[in-house]
Amino acid sequence: MLIFQGPLPPKMSPDQMQENMGKWMAWIDKLAKKEQYVSGEPLLPGGKLVAGTNGKTVTDGPYTEGKEIVGGFFIINAKDIAEAVAISKECPDFDLGTTVQVRQVMKMDM
Amino acid sequence: MGSDIRICTLPIIHYLTKESNDIRKLVDHLFRHESGKMVSVLSRVLGLQNLEVAYDIVQDTLLQAMSTWSFGQIPDNPSAWLYRVARNKAIDFLRREKKFREISPQYAYLVQSEWTLSPTINNLFLDNEIEDSQLRMMFACCHPSIPEESQIALTLKTLCGLSISEIAKAFLTNDDTISKRIYRAKEKIKSERIELIVPSGDELHVRLDAVLKSLYLLFNEGYNSSHPERLIREDLCEEAMRLCLLLTQHSLTGYPRSKALLSLMCFQSSRLNTRLDEKGNIILLKNQERNKWNRSLIRKGFEYIEAAAEPFEVSTYHLEAGIASIHAASPSFEKTDWKSIYHLYQMLYELQPNPVVAMNKAIASAYAISKEKALEELQQIKGLEKHHLYYASMGEMYFDLHQKENAKKYFEKAYNLTDSQSERQLLLEKISLC
Repeated sequence: MLIFQGPLPPKMSPDQMQENMGKWMAWIDKLAKKEQYVSGEPLLPGGKLVAGTNGKTVTDGPYTEGKEIVGGFFIINAKDIAEAVAISKECPDFDLGTTVQVRQVMKMDM
Repeated sequence: MGSDIRICTLPIIHYLTKESNDIRKLVDHLFRHESGKMVSVLSRVLGLQNLEVAYDIVQDTLLQAMSTWSFGQIPDNPSAWLYRVARNKAIDFLRREKKFREISPQYAYLVQSEWTLSPTINNLFLDNEIEDSQLRMMFACCHPSIPEESQIALTLKTLCGLSISEIAKAFLTNDDTISKRIYRAKEKIKSERIELIVPSGDELHVRLDAVLKSLYLLFNEGYNSSHPERLIREDLCEEAMRLCLLLTQHSLTGYPRSKALLSLMCFQSSRLNTRLDEKGNIILLKNQERNKWNRSLIRKGFEYIEAAAEPFEVSTYHLEAGIASIHAASPSFEKTDWKSIYHLYQMLYELQPNPVVAMNKAIASAYAISKEKALEELQQIKGLEKHHLYYASMGEMYFDLHQKENAKKYFEKAYNLTDSQSERQLLLEKISLC
């Protein structure tokens, strides 16, 4: 799982936004052709943090502001963590301040 | 419009092309063009005085699209998705801000009631209403009280979705200059209380001329510039054509002269690829590879000039398109019907007696009549003392009359008056032949 976290992008022109999106689509396309892309979802900003006894404390967050915002995630196929990291390096948004968390989904052997 | 003409069909249909793996690609400039449409529609309901709010809503909408579509799911109808989001944001804004005074009077009443708020805004996002809004916006941007250079900048920003930096880059200037031009336009919108309306009656004629002039200048900005990036030059031409196409298609503005201007643009842009070599140097009409001219644009040019034919309306665009059509139809420079071209320039000079037209008329006379005649005409022109092309043409005539010393003198004068690298290169070559 690749989790994309980053600040809101700076003001971009419509053409620049479309260009940025085009890079993401080209990336997804490339991963899909290698059968590495499984799915992806954007996340809405905002959310709730539920904690405390019986979930008594409900607060805004986490990840509701600034750099903490999780924009979305990909599920990909990779043979190991090294390959997943290599894939994540192709994310087009590093120069916009995005970071990528690479996590492995645990497979349960029953 | 035929689907073979990329330059003319961009805004119309086929926003999406299906590709392998169901990952789809958006049509070029979709965001930019939708931005222009949405700003026009939103300004109509919010009032032109709230143009900034419209920009913000559109910016938010596109940002939302970017940050959701990027994860792999593009909606089936991206434009409809954008409109829905923009519409909801506008409704939220209107509910939140109860300052209805600023809103255009026609809608102020309708958006106050929850009954009519949503349907009113929904209606404005229907296809024909979008076009109508764009048309209104064109008339507002090209309002005669706004200086011409500000008209063009505002048009590019509101209707074409270009950012200040992109406009500055296209005009080879800095962001500050463009910001000031747009600021001046907005000041006029306020002080003159410019509204989003398509004028009617006699006023329509005058105002339509202002719009056409602005599009003509925008086109020429792209066509005549020696901007190092070909795409930027083409972009300006393409935007001018897109807006002109809109004018020709609307019953209120589809005047013969709108069609004549579009025809002229088709003819000129058919030569866009052959005007500069790969180093960015200008290739003169005489030396252009005519088989590389875009045939489908030439065909469109002829279609529009035919549609523009009207016995009681001959505009300067008709004449210019006529001249361009003769060039487009000529198999070679030598076989060009210069007599007809000269005749059209004579007519153009009657409508527009300015020194630049006089110069072009003189040049045509060199081929239609004689070089001596051309030289004589050129010498009579007043007001081009700072114009490098004037001296270059004089040099050219002397050169052809084998008066090389005079030729050299004029080419050198021209050289010192231009900053354009490609033109300087061309003149250096001429000088070396003298």
